[in-house]
Amino acid sequence: MAQWQEMQQLPPTHLERVHQLYTNAALPMTVRQSLADWIEDQDWQQAAEPFSSHARMLFHSLLTLLGEQQGSLGPGDEDFMLKHNLRKARIDLQAAFEEHPENFANLVANLLQEERCILRRAQAKGQVETPPAPSTAPQNSQEQEIQQRLAEFRTALQEAERAFRHMEDLQDTFDFSYKMYYMPGQDHSHDPQYAQHVQALQAKLQSLDRQRRILSLQEVVAQIQQLLGRSETLRDFLQQELSAWRERQQRSCLGAPTDTCLLQLQGWFTALGEGLFQLLQLLRAVGELRQKVTYEQDPLQSELPLLEKRLLEQLTCLLQSAFVVEQQPCMPNTPKRPLVLRTANKFCTRARLLVRLHDRNHRMEANIHIDRDPPKTRGFRKFNILTSSSKTVLVGDSPREGLVCDFQYLTLKEQKGGGSGKGSRGTNEGPLAVTEELHLITFTLAYAYCGLELKLETSTLPFVIISNNNQLSSAWASVLWFNMLSPNPKDQQFFSTPPPAPWPRLAEVLSWQFQSTAERGLSREHLHMLAEKLFGSKPSPESALPWTKFSKDGAAGFSFWAWLDGILALLHDHLKQLWKDGLILGFVSRKQERKLLKVKRSGTFLIRFSESMLGGVTCTWVEHPESGPPAFRAVVPYTAAELASLALPDIIRDYQLLAEENIPENPLLFLYPDIARDEAFGPYYSQRHEGILTKKKEYLNQRLIRVSSRQPHETWQTEEELVVATEDLETLQLKSGGQQPVSPGTVPGGGRTPRTPQAVSPGLQQVVAAVPVLPSLQQLGSGDLGVLQTGMGDLGPPVVLQLLQVGPGAQGVLPMGSSAIGPLLGSDAAELLLDNGAVGLQPSGLGELEGLPLQEPALEVGAGQLEAVELLPTLDDSAVLLDSSDPFLPQPEDAALPATASLFTADGDFPALHIDASDFQ
Amino acid sequence: MRPRGKAEGRLWLRALEILQELSFCDCTILSMSQRGEHQESKKKLEISPSETMKAEEESYKEENKEPKSEDWRPPSVFGAADLKNRAVGLYNIGQTCCLNSLLQVFFMNIHFTKILRRISVPVCGTQKKKNVPYQMLLLLEKMQCGKQKAVSPKELAICLVAHGVTMFVQYDAAQLFLTLWNLLKKQMKNPELVEKLSDLYTISVQEHLTCQTCSSETKRNSSMLTLPVSLLDSDSHMLKTLEECLQCFFRPEELTGHNMCFCEHCGKKTPFQQSVKLVHLPQTLTIHLKRFCFGRSAYIHKISSCLPFPQDLDFNAVLTEQQCQAYDNEKAAWQYELFAVVAHSGSTSYGHYCAYIRSLTECKWYCFNDSLVEQVSWDDVKSTYGHSDLSWGQTAYLLFYMRKHRQ
Repeated sequence: MAQWQEMQQLPPTHLERVHQLYTNAALPMTVRQSLADWIEDQDWQQAAEPFSSHARMLFHSLLTLLGEQQGSLGPGDEDFMLKHNLRKARIDLQAAFEEHPENFANLVANLLQEERCILRRAQAKGQVETPPAPSTAPQNSQEQEIQQRLAEFRTALQEAERAFRHMEDLQDTFDFSYKMYYMPGQDHSHDPQYAQHVQALQAKLQSLDRQRRILSLQEVVAQIQQLLGRSETLRDFLQQELSAWRERQQRSCLGAPTDTCLLQLQGWFTALGEGLFQLLQLLRAVGELRQKVTYEQDPLQSELPLLEKRLLEQLTCLLQSAFVVEQQPCMPNTPKRPLVLRTANKFCTRARLLVRLHDRNHRMEANIHIDRDPPKTRGFRKFNILTSSSKTVLVGDSPREGLVCDFQYLTLKEQKGGGSGKGSRGTNEGPLAVTEELHLITFTLAYAYCGLELKLETSTLPFVIISNNNQLSSAWASVLWFNMLSPNPKDQQFFSTPPPAPWPRLAEVLSWQFQSTAERGLSREHLHMLAEKLFGSKPSPESALPWTKFSKDGAAGFSFWAWLDGILALLHDHLKQLWKDGLILGFVSRKQERKLLKVKRSGTFLIRFSESMLGGVTCTWVEHPESGPPAFRAVVPYTAAELASLALPDIIRDYQLLAEENIPENPLLFLYPDIARDEAFGPYYSQRHEGILTKKKEYLNQRLIRVSSRQPHETWQTEEELVVATEDLETLQLKSGGQQPVSPGTVPGGGRTPRTPQAVSPGLQQVVAAVPVLPSLQQLGSGDLGVLQTGMGDLGPPVVLQLLQVGPGAQGVLPMGSSAIGPLLGSDAAELLLDNGAVGLQPSGLGELEGLPLQEPALEVGAGQLEAVELLPTLDDSAVLLDSSDPFLPQPEDAALPATASLFTADGDFPALHIDASDFQ
Repeated sequence: MRPRGKAEGRLWLRALEILQELSFCDCTILSMSQRGEHQESKKKLEISPSETMKAEEESYKEENKEPKSEDWRPPSVFGAADLKNRAVGLYNIGQTCCLNSLLQVFFMNIHFTKILRRISVPVCGTQKKKNVPYQMLLLLEKMQCGKQKAVSPKELAICLVAHGVTMFVQYDAAQLFLTLWNLLKKQMKNPELVEKLSDLYTISVQEHLTCQTCSSETKRNSSMLTLPVSLLDSDSHMLKTLEECLQCFFRPEELTGHNMCFCEHCGKKTPFQQSVKLVHLPQTLTIHLKRFCFGRSAYIHKISSCLPFPQDLDFNAVLTEQQCQAYDNEKAAWQYELFAVVAHSGSTSYGHYCAYIRSLTECKWYCFNDSLVEQVSWDDVKSTYGHSDLSWGQTAYLLFYMRKHRQ
């Protein structure tokens, strides 16, 4: 499109500039308008050269054309005005420029250039505004600014190059004509006067030409100056973006959910680098051209080297900062915990040069060194990188790949000093623990491009080298502390005087740990509890935690971090989903817990982490007795060991409390604040496999549940008492081996459990029961009971079996004999509970169970008095009694009750139960 | 590095005396640096001392009325000097980037051009050629009337050469600014204009010397064209911001040991406390960042580290009560905003100057790079804070602050 037409379509803001341009211009806009195409077609620049005959010719052509235009107009009103204007313009122009048409040429050339300038600006703005439209992500203003500046930089660079090419052309033309004159040929050699004349003319021309060219050379130099100034600003912006990225990377190493993609930065750095390299070439070309027209005291003589120095310095800085560690050292098996490396374990790390410019003929080699400049600390361990430490940088063709040096499968090996064998570290021990010793890997890259040779360098963040997996947790604590607090990202001596962590910062980092481990960070309430735990009071923004208090000292025998990391491990292994879905309240102080539960109805419970043991989780529920203050109860914390055999939702579903009323019941009814238990945990219950009837059943199904019981004469504890009680609770463990088949005919579970209740202590006690689920459920159940009760009856100390029936969604106690169970066969599952009855069973409860005589002494035994030693023989004996000849044992034939058989046979998925006595420790 | 001013105090006094005799003073910026041994310490007084407090007081009174009356003039009067058409560049005619930058700063200052336009035209031709204000005015006219993108300051350069300002050499901007300003002042015949010019640019301070033994105090009023602030404090630590530099400049200094002065009352050399108190600030305030320091030996190097300067500067917030010697209504006027930055890139021995100027009418920033003028943003101006990693990068050297209009 013609320039003038384009101009007229500019948005109003730019159009305003056009109007301004022509307000006082000697060339009226009327003329520009009516002769638009012709004006644009002429070479005014060339005509503007001094002594150009072209200028006169153009000027007169213009006047003639104006005359013609004037004549061609009709007699209309509008045309009349136009006619008048054209006539006036013609007269004015003639008067003003008749003498010096080259001035007119200069004027027009300038105007046209100015117009182009306005157009360019408008387009640059337009370009910037258009790209964000397709990309849906809203760019922030800084990004827009960078892109706009990059676009401007490119156009300005093109402008400078164009100006330079123009100058070069002029130079060539001059050289050519100069030579033509200089070697006039034989024709004129006999005419000395002519030669003299030519020489004089030549000298004059030369001097004029030189002046002009120096001016335009100056112009190009000024353009380069300007470009350099602008690129400094641009580099500032990129630097800011890069340090923001570095910060993001550091945070993402700590588990923060941030974006660490480098593609955009790479694009920007490459664009600026490209521009600067082009500028360098332009500058060198200017330097060459200058040599042809140099004169004394030529300002360019000193200016060009300065420019080049300044440019090279900028390029160097840009390239240095563009070499970054894209992936910090990380072992593939602990991807969430980078910067902790284990000797002899492989790890990988990757660096990238963001300026994606390279010389294909030059082989770029990257090297890595570990601890190139180790701190002079006594006992600082030295390591070797076992695998190759150099690598040729691979150049991918797609921009995604970039210039990357990817070191995979690296391993470290400690250098053993001469003479110091095993155990010598004791004498050689430095002031820092192994997990506080920081190491660095430095990347170096020999870079060469466009004659610029540089050695680029970048370092990883400091990492910790461990030799055993059990150091991982404390090593990670060091990594957290360093990246959270170190002002200098290369400070290997950080832990000689580790600063305390301000609470707000620490809180954020701790939250990231949960976020990255279990996809849910810590809430304000969680953090509040943690702060109270750490600082004893309400945290102020100034509260700060010293390093030792975080990672080393702890009242409970373990440090704060060890405790937290235990919880993290527990979450990761067993509770991820529950935590993620917010079912675990987690960090609640006892005080807060009571405050929360007090106002809730009985049976409301919450799940929180144990504060007294490593990696424990427990439920606390509230009961409102008819009179008196509400009571809060908590079960002994479950640890990974328990949760490995039985998932927490299942524990909650099946949890039983044997209360005075003899009816074992699940006290966990509503999840705090007010969600029915099964509604909250239903989705997490393990499958019950109801109604799959296809396969013949081979094994008993087994299911583990947990029970607590209350002491016979236990009164509702006050809050303080409860605390003590819960602290003293002990857990009994039962593990499902799942290997040994338990056939329907034998007595499973109960028969093998006798040694279980080894230790009995006051308070609530939980026991695991094995539940064989069989077609002939009721028979087996009652048989079991019978056997055990016989044993009890003989030997006194109480081991009681309860049979109860749990329907889907509803619980009922089914205490009676086989006939009583019969009607319940329709329901899908029945569970057998084994409890240490000695601790909490009331006589009446036992009576209800089977009506068998129970010996009072056993029931009288208080928890404190009951000795494990006493129990053991008893139970062993009961095991002996479990005999197929026992009248209470079900007969194999009985196992085939049609209705239930069809219900359960297909249930092959239930692992067979194997209970090993050794598990009950 | 030794603390500043060991030998400086006395030298400084002596320098004051020497300068009293000079009507035209010209100090190079390179000499105004850190170490006392290397400097003759014309630290404070940079303009002709004929500027006395007397003139100051009068102009000060006048000033209160002046802005009001002038503010009522039609805006075209202001706009005349300031991009009426557009910003026009100045060709570099041989190491004149420094001159060009300063000229642009002068021309973009409407308060200055208002004065310049009122000068009387010299009668004869040779005088015309030698008259700096007149040549400047001519150049300004040339820049304004033409449609050229840039004009050449050739005539002015020739005129300056006639006054001993050599061309084709690297200049120090602060030095050239002083030279140019003194030439302007000397050649403006109209005393009213001279007064207006001094009023526009000169800073008044009061220097105090207190004998630590007998507490006798000597006061001296003096005027300065620029506030030459050091980037290093007395212990040679880098200062972090412009405000800190200013505070450091007005911080009292103990003169002990070698630097003790002779006290008339005590009749012997005694330790003195030397302090500078700010009396008056002009409409256009020039701050000179002394970005030079002596390394080992006499080698001078440029300090390219980062020194942020604010767009808005409130002297009342920077200085304490003790550091001022002014009435409240004077102090109330100490609200400034950045008007121009003359930035230098390169080393001490040679480099390049360009000027970032904020148009007073449009309130937009422009970068004047010889013949090239471009509209820029505050971010570009900020890039002249300096970078510790770029020793050749551009750094602000002269800062021009403009007093804000009173509400």
